[in-house]
Amino acid sequence: MTIEKTRNDGDFLVKVSGRLDTTTAPELERELEDGLQGVTKLTIDFSDLEYISSAGLRVLLRAQRMMNNQGEMIVRGVNDIVKEIFEVTGFTDILTIE
Amino acid sequence: MRQDLPIADASGGFSYAEDGQDSSCRSTERVTVTMSDAIKIELTGRIDSGNAEEVKKDLLSRAGDDRDTPVILDAQDLEYISSAGLRAILQLRKDHEQLTIINVSPEVYDIFDMTGFTQMMEIHRAYKEVSIEGCEVIGKGANGTIYRIDKDNVVKVFNNSDALEEIEHEREVAKLALILGIPTAISYDVVRVGDTYGSVFELLNARSFSTILATEPDKLDWCVNEYVDLLRKIHSTVVPEGKLPDMKETALDWAKFTSEYLPEEEGSKLRALVEAVPHNDHMIHGDYHTKNVELTDEEVLLIDMDTLAVGDPVFELGSMFNAFIGFSEYDHNKILEFQGFDYETAAKFWDKVLKAYAGTDDPDVIKGIEDKAKIVGYTRLIRRSIRRKGLETEDGKAEIELWKGELISLLDKVDSLAI
Repeated sequence: MTIEKTRNDGDFLVKVSGRLDTTTAPELERELEDGLQGVTKLTIDFSDLEYISSAGLRVLLRAQRMMNNQGEMIVRGVNDIVKEIFEVTGFTDILTIE
Repeated sequence: MRQDLPIADASGGFSYAEDGQDSSCRSTERVTVTMSDAIKIELTGRIDSGNAEEVKKDLLSRAGDDRDTPVILDAQDLEYISSAGLRAILQLRKDHEQLTIINVSPEVYDIFDMTGFTQMMEIHRAYKEVSIEGCEVIGKGANGTIYRIDKDNVVKVFNNSDALEEIEHEREVAKLALILGIPTAISYDVVRVGDTYGSVFELLNARSFSTILATEPDKLDWCVNEYVDLLRKIHSTVVPEGKLPDMKETALDWAKFTSEYLPEEEGSKLRALVEAVPHNDHMIHGDYHTKNVELTDEEVLLIDMDTLAVGDPVFELGSMFNAFIGFSEYDHNKILEFQGFDYETAAKFWDKVLKAYAGTDDPDVIKGIEDKAKIVGYTRLIRRSIRRKGLETEDGKAEIELWKGELISLLDKVDSLAI
């Protein structure tokens, strides 16, 4: 997994590539924990994400909860595999997916 | 098209008699119908303008004149349906409002979806077929076997081919728990595996806490902390109303059963104590022992979600007491068989867990909580054992007497169960 971050005032763009699973999710979690202060719009770009496990979903859930209190969160560029996972788990109802 | 004879069982689920082509035997078969009954009709091949009229007549005559009879269309062998075919179904629905279509292939489901039929009536997709031929077996339990089907997924195949309802239930509650932030595996799908069903989960490279306690005794304190952290997380999760069963209702059933075997005074006190537990909308796992908590690379995960409920933590602690102590109190060897570690380890673990959960070492406070948990625990154990014919063997009787004695003395001194 690789994480690319772009910060522009309150806008925070995080591009996650590769596999977001139990081994890599903690890294994303740390990045978000450290980086979300003052963020009003968090965009997570998944256009090069290949797979997401439950550990990855929980990081998204926590990020969404934090952003509920301070702004908005958008997930974009989701491929079919990841989209199906969002659908079967009910995450499509929780996340804003573009 | 073949028409099966539907026979509703007492629980309201449907089962079908072998073959019901001969309609003359229907009246005799129907003697067994207790609740509602349904007529099941198979749809096959292609239904288009060429045969829609014929199909319509056939459907109407098979469904019969009784408007209240639910009709189930089994679309397993249906390859295509045109608008003329859809009109035939609409016609049938005019006479039979309770119309359900099952086993619909993805292609045909798209047609039903685009035409708005999925909004109008109950339409169920067919279960995907999964083959386990040549797949690695990665686990075996009492209910089934777990196979690895690809890099990221396993399928838990159930021994009992009637387990569909339980499988769907577990999947639903696991999904709910995941959304509420409980660390658990993703349940992707329910699938058909040969003659039975399976549940597809993400693959976890994990070891249970039971295994850790059995093989690495020096990690006991670490296990206690992680185990209690997760327990606190579960118990602090608020569940939207109506999403999970209320554990108090279940516990009331136990209390009613077990109170019949107690002296009258203690029996009625037991029922009153459970009755008086206030409603609580926080989650409890219901079977929170160390086999159901697993350690993956980085995380502690909860599994076996089918017992998830809401209720006071006392109901959770009661079943935990049973898993570590109560169940093996008469025969200490039982725990080794069940958990893989011995009774002394279990007792030590349980004691430390209680202290960590209560956040105190004060023996009076701990004893107070444990006594409440024991009342729930013994009530359940006595019922369980009697229902499994425990009173018919000498050992069974002695075990029940031990639990009963403990329960009666606790009932004489405890005045509320809520924690």
